[in-house]
Amino acid sequence: MAATSKGSRKGTMNGLPDWGLLLGSVLVYLFLYAPIAVLILFSFNSTRSTQVWSGFSFEWYGQLLADPTILQAFRTSLTVGVIATLIATVIGTMTALALSRHRFRGQSVADTAIYAATVMPEIVVGVSLLVFFVAVRIDLGITTIVIAHVAFTISFVTIVVRARLAGMDRSVEEAAQDLGASPVQTFFRVTLPLILPGVMAGGLLAFTLSFDDFVITYFISGVGSSTLPLKIYSMIKFGVSPVINALSTVVLVATLFLIFGGSRLLVRKDNT
Amino acid sequence: MEDRQIRERPARAEAAGRGVAVRLAGITKRFGDFVAVDDLNLDIYEGEFFSLLGPSGCGKTTTLRMIAGFEEPSQGEISVAGEQVQGVPPYRRPVNTVFQSYAIFPHLNVFDNVAFGLRRAKTPKDEVASRVADACEMVQLAGFEKRKPGMLSGGQQQRVALARALVNRPKVLLLDEPLGALDLKLRKEMQLELKSLQEEVGITFVYVTHDQEEALTMSDRIAVMNEGKVQQLAGPTTLYETPANRFVAGFIGQTNVFSGTVEAADGERTTLRTREGLRVEAVARDQASPKEGEEVHAAVRPEKVRFGGSGDNVSAAEVKQVVYLGASTQYIVELEGGGKLVLYQQNAFDATGPLEGDGVSVSWDAQNCLVLGG
Ligand SMILES: Nc1ncnc2c1ncn2[C@@H]1O[C@H](COP(=O)(O)OP(=O)(O)OP(=O)(O)O)[C@@H](O)[C@H]1O
Ligand SMILES: [Mg+2]
Repeated sequence: MAATSKGSRKGTMNGLPDWGLLLGSVLVYLFLYAPIAVLILFSFNSTRSTQVWSGFSFEWYGQLLADPTILQAFRTSLTVGVIATLIATVIGTMTALALSRHRFRGQSVADTAIYAATVMPEIVVGVSLLVFFVAVRIDLGITTIVIAHVAFTISFVTIVVRARLAGMDRSVEEAAQDLGASPVQTFFRVTLPLILPGVMAGGLLAFTLSFDDFVITYFISGVGSSTLPLKIYSMIKFGVSPVINALSTVVLVATLFLIFGGSRLLVRKDNT
Repeated sequence: MEDRQIRERPARAEAAGRGVAVRLAGITKRFGDFVAVDDLNLDIYEGEFFSLLGPSGCGKTTTLRMIAGFEEPSQGEISVAGEQVQGVPPYRRPVNTVFQSYAIFPHLNVFDNVAFGLRRAKTPKDEVASRVADACEMVQLAGFEKRKPGMLSGGQQQRVALARALVNRPKVLLLDEPLGALDLKLRKEMQLELKSLQEEVGITFVYVTHDQEEALTMSDRIAVMNEGKVQQLAGPTTLYETPANRFVAGFIGQTNVFSGTVEAADGERTTLRTREGLRVEAVARDQASPKEGEEVHAAVRPEKVRFGGSGDNVSAAEVKQVVYLGASTQYIVELEGGGKLVLYQQNAFDATGPLEGDGVSVSWDAQNCLVLGG
C-alpha cells in the first residue's frame, strides 16, 4: 500500500511516467473516436471528397432521402426491428420469469445456455441459421431475418429482465393473491408494472441489436430484402461516397439514442 | 388459605358461544425431512384476538401461510368459517394477511393500494371510494391517499398494510409480526391501537409474534409454540400464572427454576430437594402429579419472592446484584443452600432495599411455586 502511493507520487508506475500513461490514453481515445468523428464531419462536406474539407452542407443527407433503395432498406430494418423486438421481448420476458421463478433439474445448464448465447460468434449463428432455413425450406427473405433476429436477441432481453426480477420483492405478488387477484391479474397488475423498466430496456436493446446487425443478416437475408447495414455494405462496393457517411451518421445517432434511453430506464427508480 | 383461583379476562368469543372461525385439525407441515409444524390442533373463535407465540423458527409463519393458502399442509385439515379450504388458492380464501414486510405495492399510491382488494372483487366505484376513505380514516391515514409508498414512514406503511387488508372485511385477518419493524415507542402505541381496532371491527385476528409481552398485552388467547408443537394454549393470565411446562415458564416472563428430586408428595403439595440441598415446598397443578423420587422442576416468579417474612420457603441469602429498573428493582441473591434467585420489588413509596453484599432472608409461598409438567 505504502509502496504504491509512494510510486504514484513520484509519477511512476512500472517505470512509466505519468505523462506517458496520459499520452497512451489519449491515443487510445483518438484511435477509437477519431475515425467516427471524421466520418460524421465529412457527411456534412460540400464536395464529394471524403478527405478534403471544403465547406458545410446537407447535400448528402438530401441525396440519402432521395434514394428509394436506401429508404426501402431503412423500412426493412425498421419493420424487422419492430417485429423481432416485440416477439423477442415477450419470449425473453417469459423465459426470465420461468428461470427465476421455478426450480427444475438442469437449471444451471439452462442459465448458462442463456449467457452463452450472447457471446456466440455471429458467424456461427449466421451459418447455422442459413443451414437450418435451407433444411426446413423456408425461403430467405424478411421472414428469415425476423426469425434470426428474434433468435439472437431473446437471450439479451432475458438477462436484462432477470436482473430486474432479482431485485423484486416477491411478497408483493403474494399480497396481490391474498387480496383476491388471480395469477393472471397478479402478473398484469403487479409483476409487470414492477419489471416494466427492465422489459423496456431489454426491448430497446433488442431493437438496437437488430437494427445494427450485419453478419447474421448477411447470411440469411436472401436477394430481395436488405437491411440498412447490408445496404451500406453494398454501396461501399461501388466506391466511397459521402452518402454513406450520412447514412452511417444516422444509424449511429439512432443507436446512441436507443442505448441511452435504455440505460435511463434501467437506473430509473420505482415511479417515485 | 385463600382461594387462588386464576381470574382470566373472560374469553369473549367462547363466552358468547360464537362459532369457530379457523379450525386446524391435525396439521403437519414437512419441508423434506424437516417437520416445521407438528400435529397442530387449534380452534380459533370468531371475533377472537388469537396469538401464535414462539421463538424464531418454531413454525408460526408456516402456520399462518397454510391458513392463507400459500402452503398446503402435508397432513391434516384446515377450515375457515366452517368451510374446508384444502386446495383453495389464496385469492379465493376469505382471509387477508398483513405481511411482516408489509408488501405494499410500490407502484401504486396509498388509495390504489387500499382499493386493490375491493377492485378485484368488482366493487362499484363509489363504494370503493367510500370504503377506502373509511379504512384510511380508521388507521389515521386520511389525507395520505395520493402518496406513493416510498414517501411514507415505517409506521405509516404498516397502517397502509393494515387498511389494505381490513377494507375487505375478511372473516379472518392474519398478521405476521406486523409491528416487528417499528421502534419500541411506536410499537407500544400500535399495540394498543391494533387491539382497540380489533374490538371495534370484531374481525378474528390471528396474530403472530415472538414478543411475549406483545402477546400478553393484546391477546384473548395465546398458543405458545416451540419446534412446531403447541406447548400451551390459554389466556394471558393462565399462561403467566400456571405455565404448563418448563418451556412456557421460561418463555413467558422471567422465572426461577428449581430442579430436584421429589421427597414427599401429598395431593397438590410437593416437597423437593435440589442438588444443592435446598428444600423447596411447591404445589403441583392439573397436569403434573409427581411421584416420590421423581426428578422435577418447580418455578417461582421473581415478583413472588420477598425479603424477610415467613412462608413455606424461607432461606438466608446474600445480595449479589441490584439493578434499578425504575418502577421496580431487580435483585439477584445467592441462597445459603446454594443456587441463585432473582426477585423484584416494587419501588412504591421508598426505594430503600438491601444493598449488594447484604445478608438477607428471602421467602416465598408454596402456592406460587409451581411444579412444571413436561
Ligand atoms: N420453504 C421452506 N423450505 C424449507 N424449510 C422451511 C421453509 N419455510 C420454512 N422452513 C423452516 O421451517 C421452520 C419454521 O419456519 P417459520 O418461518 O414458520 O418460522 P417462524 O416461527 O415464523 O420464525 P420467525 O419468528 O423467525 O419468523 C424454520 O426452521 C424454517 O427454516
Ligand atoms: Mg416468521
